[in-house]
Amino acid sequence: MHKETLLARTLVKLADTLVDDFDVVELLTLLTDRCVDVLGVAAAGIMLAAAEGDLRVMASSSEAMRVLELFEIQAQEGPCLDCYGTGAPVANPDLAGGDHGWPRFGAEAIAAGFRSVSALPMVLRGRVIGALNLFRVEPGEMANVDLESAQAFADVATIAILQHRAAAEAQALNDQLNQALNTRIVIEQAKGMVAERQGLDMEQAFGVLRNHARSHNLRLTDVATGVIGGTLAVADLDRARWPQAGRRSNRAPKRSS
Amino acid sequence: MPGERRLRILARLTGGTSGAETSRLCRVCADITGMSGAGIMLMSEAGPRGSLCTTDEVSALIEQLQYDLGEGPCLDAYRLDRPVLEPDIRRPVVPRWLAFSGPALGAGARAVFGFPLRVGSVRFGALNLFRDRPGTLDADQHADALVMADVAAQSILLLQAGAPPGQVAAELEAGADFQYVVHQAAGMVAAQIDVSVGEALVRLHAHAFSHDRPLTDVARDVVGRVTRFDESDGATGSPG
Repeated sequence: MHKETLLARTLVKLADTLVDDFDVVELLTLLTDRCVDVLGVAAAGIMLAAAEGDLRVMASSSEAMRVLELFEIQAQEGPCLDCYGTGAPVANPDLAGGDHGWPRFGAEAIAAGFRSVSALPMVLRGRVIGALNLFRVEPGEMANVDLESAQAFADVATIAILQHRAAAEAQALNDQLNQALNTRIVIEQAKGMVAERQGLDMEQAFGVLRNHARSHNLRLTDVATGVIGGTLAVADLDRARWPQAGRRSNRAPKRSS
Repeated sequence: MPGERRLRILARLTGGTSGAETSRLCRVCADITGMSGAGIMLMSEAGPRGSLCTTDEVSALIEQLQYDLGEGPCLDAYRLDRPVLEPDIRRPVVPRWLAFSGPALGAGARAVFGFPLRVGSVRFGALNLFRDRPGTLDADQHADALVMADVAAQSILLLQAGAPPGQVAAELEAGADFQYVVHQAAGMVAAQIDVSVGEALVRLHAHAFSHDRPLTDVARDVVGRVTRFDESDGATGSPG
């Protein structure tokens, strides 16, 4: 099969997994296998960050690769860790050269039969979620076209993983969004009530609500809900430190308006 | 092949870097389906939340009209949980959206389409597409719109996943119009006539309807202290 066709098919397969209830490990294993098939690398592996930020080996095209990646995590040095840490591609064309700053990892990789390495970040909107490691048995730089293909694989896999996470948590995320929007609405309504009762503009009214919340150690949402529900009278709110709003002011107003 | 469609859309979304996330989402919605413009509205069981993003002024007006009037393709798509297609609002097959259609036509929209936004069983908005000439969506455009709505829905939740607890994601707020002025006005009216904010919202809607004015305009007048509701006839001081 043509290399281009294989590339396109891999990307389509990756994209298809977005609709199905897919298994993340299965998807990533497919990705590492295709890297070997399509990009002419000897081995490929993927590490993803766990919730605590630690990298975990998620998929490897071979057992030797898996062992090497586990070693990388154990030794806390190597291209995948550097790539994840910086969010930028990392490449070393000759692991025997020794100037890569990974003395233990370099020796281990060479012992496993590898000579050169590239690591590509899995990143979306500035959020690095992991890295793709590509190993070859011969020294030298990877062709740019292959690196671009590898990055395309990594990008689609990244969005697949993140969208999958969003889908798995859809109910919770939508509840959060609704809750956040409701909170905003209650605050806007309370601002309106305070503005009307105290003859303030909306910004000043917000200042009154926030000031009351701070000085009584209450959440702004609870103050706003109290105002709307009538359990907290507008007249009982602490005045904000606006000259127009009135009374004692022991601190200069933040704005000149 | 659905995968190819999705891939084409994802490539458009991941490619390029400029612009806010949601405005790019809207732009890709319109481009991929070959429409004049697109917009995304967020909804809840209680009604429309407002507009998340629009590609242009016509789309913005289409969303504003639906928010103000409580009718239109997005609201129906959300309520019915299926695509709602109107290839010609000047000569609709089923008469509907009597208040919405005139101003939408006047703004330059001729065909309007609504697609529900949902992830699994969670439904939270609608994608709105419009075109400046009449005509149905062909099979390809329809399929693209369905995949696009799916990708957009996941993207929106994905953006919210990055928000601090209790807050709307900054990426969702950028370019959005959640109609806060209407809620500010409701708070003011509630204080003026001593009713609940829920009741005040109903009064605002009724006033806008009986004076044939957009709800947002009325709300702005209340907040700007041009209109009050505590005079004898319910609301005075509104010019025109």
